[in-house]
Amino acid sequence: MIELKHITKIYELNRADRVVALNDVSLSIKEGVVLVLKGASGSGKSSILSLIAALSKPTSGEVIVDGKKISKLSDNFASVYRRDNIGFVFQKYNLIPNLSVRDNILLPLVPLNLDAKDAEEKLALVMEMFHIAHKANAIVKNLSGGEQQRVAIARANINNPKIILADEPTANLDEKLSLSFIEILKELKSLNKTIVIATHDPLFFNLDFVDSVVEIHNGIVR
Amino acid sequence: MKNKINIYLIEFAINAILRQKYKSLFVAVVFILLTFLLTSVFFITNSIKYELNSTVEALPEIIIQKTEAGRVQNIDVAEVDRILAVKGVSDAYARVWGYYYFENAGVNFSIVGVDKFENQYKNSLAKIVDRFDFGEADSPLMIIGKGVHESMKKNYYKEYFNFIKSDGTLKKVTIAGVFDGDTQLESNDMIVMSKETFREIFNMPQTKATDIVVKVANSSEIATVVSKLKLIYPNSSIITKESIKVSYQNIFNYKSGLFLALFIISLFTFFIVIYDKVSGLSSEEKREVGILKAIGWRVDDVLKEKFYEAAIISLFSYIVGVGLAMAFVYLFQAPILRDIFVGYSELKPSFELPFVFDIQTLFLVFFLSVPIYIAATIIPSWRVATLEADEVIR
Ligand SMILES: Nc1ncnc2c1ncn2[C@@H]1O[C@H](COP(=O)(O)OP(=O)(O)OP(=O)(O)O)[C@@H](O)[C@H]1O
Ligand SMILES: [Mg+2]
Repeated sequence: MIELKHITKIYELNRADRVVALNDVSLSIKEGVVLVLKGASGSGKSSILSLIAALSKPTSGEVIVDGKKISKLSDNFASVYRRDNIGFVFQKYNLIPNLSVRDNILLPLVPLNLDAKDAEEKLALVMEMFHIAHKANAIVKNLSGGEQQRVAIARANINNPKIILADEPTANLDEKLSLSFIEILKELKSLNKTIVIATHDPLFFNLDFVDSVVEIHNGIVR
Repeated sequence: MKNKINIYLIEFAINAILRQKYKSLFVAVVFILLTFLLTSVFFITNSIKYELNSTVEALPEIIIQKTEAGRVQNIDVAEVDRILAVKGVSDAYARVWGYYYFENAGVNFSIVGVDKFENQYKNSLAKIVDRFDFGEADSPLMIIGKGVHESMKKNYYKEYFNFIKSDGTLKKVTIAGVFDGDTQLESNDMIVMSKETFREIFNMPQTKATDIVVKVANSSEIATVVSKLKLIYPNSSIITKESIKVSYQNIFNYKSGLFLALFIISLFTFFIVIYDKVSGLSSEEKREVGILKAIGWRVDDVLKEKFYEAAIISLFSYIVGVGLAMAFVYLFQAPILRDIFVGYSELKPSFELPFVFDIQTLFLVFFLSVPIYIAATIIPSWRVATLEADEVIR
């Protein structure tokens, strides 16, 4: 269960200039739900995902996940929270371009210092699931956009998180790849994950497995 | 589990070094150069200090030279008896020795004349006299140091050498052996032959000697003995071991000043590199830190990784630098760098830098480089890692 309570997010650019990215946003997302955040560019979609992932803190209001006030977490606990609960598929994927597919996917596990056997098992599982195993040793920067996205999705899932956040997942994909991404979403939903997708792609607005579409406009949720 | 070394983190750190190959290469080259220079300088310094000390230690306590108008002259052998009568003097020897300039090689040999039936004024000489024979007047033999052997060989004197006497005629002396002295500095340019042959080459009469060595049984009496000798021989110079030590050290300290300059220059270079690091990470590096934070690395995970990165590259460079310095100084005898000690090498023509292993030098170079570099890497990474991840990866 994810709850946003009266969230305001203000970016202070300098003394005179500030952007109100989110204005008194309240939202609650139940476990296992697929929610689409719909809105024009600059409306505040990415800001909401960042707050849920504890990548940034609200100017006012609270973010509560499974009863924990994650907007109050210290930096270190925020990292641990992300590691254990969040799989984030970033708009620009945020992969390390000069590393291999396998090393990129393994990154979230590195600080955990797992036994090699455990790590390899988890790796094999997600590479299989997101159809990227055949490229395991390829260097990420040499992959196509669709392949890079699958690496990002595999990395987001290696720790088996409960919450999946995806920012503009189809922005860089053609129609065929967009449809296969939707297949991946269905599969994730069948694993009972809570999924939040920020997008302005109409493809997402009439899908039968999407539980709700929330529209955001200039930082205000309707 | 908590204390287990994280192989994945180390692997990632190694990967990170290899990924930024130009930057890593640059850091490694500067680092290796710095440790190499520093260690070489310290090694050479230590070796020479060691040589100087052992040379000075081997010197007699007091030497008396006769001077006339400030110039050194031969002294009468008969003076030995007068000196022996001075209270506190335990022994006195008339020495017969001199420098012979070998023009073809442009070097000075120091020739020492010995008499098989006299006591020798030092042990190393006594050993040589015991082991070798110096032949007869018409078929003389000599024992030579390694350096002398080299320069003679280069000029095709393999079995004998022709000394030019003061009247211009030649004196042929056969090489009977080559010795390795206890310390290289002392023996390398030395030739030992009989007093008889020496006198013939240098045209020195039987009644004269080069100088007189005085032994004092109780070292606390040296100063008193010196002042007594001064009274007896007003026009002579009396050289003590102490005064030689001081003049050696003066030459050496002057030279080590040059090295201090070199040392400062290399430190300066090092700090420029560090300054560059402290002033910030590249945008690519920043982004990478942001990504790691965003996928659940904690600040200390990031810092641990950066620590491994810096430790691996600096330790590697340190070891390579020190290894190169060892090879450079002891194997190749420090070409170029060694020439900065010219003052010293003029004093004693050719000498070999002895291997003096000094763990303190290694520690000193280590603490001057590795921790400084690691800190310079960690601090800017820490600054980026503590920023809000969202800001960094936007
Ligand atoms: N770190 C920041 N510093 C300053 N302004 C920011 C920052 N992050 C977001 N903003 C501003 O806040 C507003 C909302 O941004 P946000 O990225 O949440 O919108 P979005 O709906 O994701 O847009 P897009 O569809 O273009 O990704 C925008 O005006 C943006 O310029
Ligand atoms: Mg956005």
